[in-house]
Amino acid sequence: MEKPRWASRISKRTILVIINLMKVIIELFGASRDFSDQNSLELDIENGSSIKDVRNKILDYLDINFKGNENFIKIVNSSAFCSNDNIISDNYKITNNEKIAIIPPIGGG
Amino acid sequence: MLHTKIINIKDKKLSIVEAEKFISSSDFGASIFFSGTVRNQNNNKSVIGITYDSHDSLVIKSFEEIYNEADKKLGIKDKAIFIEHAKGYLDLGEVSIIIAVACKHRDEAYILSRYIIEEIKKRSPIWKKEHYQNNEADWLKGNPIQYEKN
Repeated sequence: MEKPRWASRISKRTILVIINLMKVIIELFGASRDFSDQNSLELDIENGSSIKDVRNKILDYLDINFKGNENFIKIVNSSAFCSNDNIISDNYKITNNEKIAIIPPIGGG
Repeated sequence: MLHTKIINIKDKKLSIVEAEKFISSSDFGASIFFSGTVRNQNNNKSVIGITYDSHDSLVIKSFEEIYNEADKKLGIKDKAIFIEHAKGYLDLGEVSIIIAVACKHRDEAYILSRYIIEEIKKRSPIWKKEHYQNNEADWLKGNPIQYEKN
């Protein structure tokens, strides 16, 4: 049976959206460990996303899972991010399946 | 000469004896041992223990950077430094950090020891979760990490 024209349009768009997505793994440290029972979060982000976009994606995740817990939002906004043992800037572009660490405000000793 | 390690407290405890062994040398006339321990009060709360969390590889990298800076910023070339930091749950009185330094003279040993602990506080990704008597626990606020921009 022939597909209606709208169905083929939607499926092409869906495929494009799927192709346009990639995964990023956020390793959790310090106070951000309270964001999940796991040691990391796995998020879908658009190709070419930067740390700035990842930060927003984590805020979306917190909004959905913790009703925008204000303390958690503060932690994300004051955190740095790290890839391959280097602190990276907000403009840093993520690659597919990249593992990055969230570094909340520190205080050892 | 540098020794650095993150010690998982489940495996072993930090040891001043090991620190002394590492820095001991007749090249140096002054040694300073600094240790940080878990105390029973903070911000008017009764603390019963602290869980330490750490980004191990980034912490070790920060220790190495601090060591190298002692040459450039402080001009202390001849030295032995031992730094170990604990990870995991520590009871009151247990040792969370040991910094042992040996230098030719006491002036530089005091300066170096103080410099290392202050820099670790600013830039080594280590976190504390305090545990209180009422079964509550809180991550301490801390300060945003300071780092050398690439």
